[in-house]
Amino acid sequence: MVIDNQFLLILISGLFTALAASLLGAFIVVKRMALVGDVLSHVALPGIGLALILSIDPIYGAAVFLLAAAFGTWLIEKKTALPPEAIIGTFFTATLALGVILVPNEELFESLFGNLFAIKKLDAIVIIAASSMIFSLTLLLSRRLTLSIAAPDLAKSAGFRPDFSYLAFLLLFALSVALGIKLIGSVLMGALTILPAVSARNFAWSLKSFLVFSVIFGLVMTFTGILISTVFNFPPGPAVILTGIIFFIISLFFKK
Amino acid sequence: MTDNQKNILNVRDLSVNFGKEEVLKDISFSVNEGDFLAIIGPNGAGKTVLFRALMGLIPYDGDVKWRTNIKIGYVPQKLMEKAELPLTVKEFFSLKSKNLFFKDKQIANSAVHELKSINIDSDILNRQLINLSRGELQRVLIAWAILGHPQVLLFDEPTAGIDIAGEESVYNMLHKLQDERGMTIIMISHDLNVVYRYANNVLCLNKERLCYGEPERALTNEQIKRLYGENAFYHHLH
Repeated sequence: MVIDNQFLLILISGLFTALAASLLGAFIVVKRMALVGDVLSHVALPGIGLALILSIDPIYGAAVFLLAAAFGTWLIEKKTALPPEAIIGTFFTATLALGVILVPNEELFESLFGNLFAIKKLDAIVIIAASSMIFSLTLLLSRRLTLSIAAPDLAKSAGFRPDFSYLAFLLLFALSVALGIKLIGSVLMGALTILPAVSARNFAWSLKSFLVFSVIFGLVMTFTGILISTVFNFPPGPAVILTGIIFFIISLFFKK
Repeated sequence: MTDNQKNILNVRDLSVNFGKEEVLKDISFSVNEGDFLAIIGPNGAGKTVLFRALMGLIPYDGDVKWRTNIKIGYVPQKLMEKAELPLTVKEFFSLKSKNLFFKDKQIANSAVHELKSINIDSDILNRQLINLSRGELQRVLIAWAILGHPQVLLFDEPTAGIDIAGEESVYNMLHKLQDERGMTIIMISHDLNVVYRYANNVLCLNKERLCYGEPERALTNEQIKRLYGENAFYHHLH
């Protein structure tokens, strides 16, 4: 294994992706949105397909579709008060099917499962900058978001707008998924988001420790997964997830 | 003070519909500063819905006029969806901060102060919300609600699920809050004992307003029968 510039580029991009995803994942998990989070990622696919047809960088196609889907999810939940799973499960799975048709075969595997090895310097810069921004914004949002999850009525009685916190959160999540496509693809992005959080929950004694552990686990599992994938020549995305599963199993022994 | 100045809340013909279903119909009442209004009625009468309408949490028809710049504290019956969140009591208080991220020393100190004023030891601060007993959680919710010194406290069924000794102390504490801070209290209750003992005004609710006024006058056997559908068992504590 050679630790060259490309490897460092891969590692740093992966770590920054995981940074944003694992912090957001903490809130996805406590809001019991894991299914929504997973299926939402699929919407990236038709976005990628259209972007490729139009010769635009697929990451932007993915981002546009994901942001629209996040907003749509928010609107539907607000207007209908139906559990999002029913609508989202059916509608967004359809987008996965659509995406498979739109995306040319050569790009399909990459879009579904990521291809971090092929990352270019410019991509890495975008990922680092965007992930840092998402991470910071999520931190700023965390208090309002936590209250809106724990007690939306209390949030409103205190003069806050839990609706807007939730919308901002969904949009940030959508962006983080777009960034994650390079590392891990759309199919496994949901897992990258929630695995660190579900492991962290077995250790945490407070919200703060929960968030910190989520991020630490996300970073460690990504680092380990990328290392393993480089040594054994596996695709990095699946390697990261399998590493995460092993961490999760270990965390079960520490469950409070 | 004139009547107008004493008035804190005026509700006129409040109605709430969920789709086609009429949940509240033409409710009218008013609350003055320092009042203790009890809202009673059977399950499903719309009492919690009334609270939510008063706070503007749900859409309604009719008129709800609070005094301008009024600060309201709300103590709900329970917290939703808290099972997954490892939030400590201390962190729960910090969520009320106007500050988005940094430590709010003022809130932290106020939290300790409010907890003390309702007789809770501040080592509850390091415990997780989900590990609290029903009684402990309720007191934390009260302290949360009175943080910032609201003039009005909206209290939803304080003693549901609390034992008798716990009940006594909740009401003593409410009384103390009224005496010491001049708070106005609007309370949903199932317990007629409470009404006779503490409330200076009562509103009987079962979708519509079935009685309204001072407990001694408004709560006749007739009324109670109409409200609950049978002779309710209660003690007169005069």
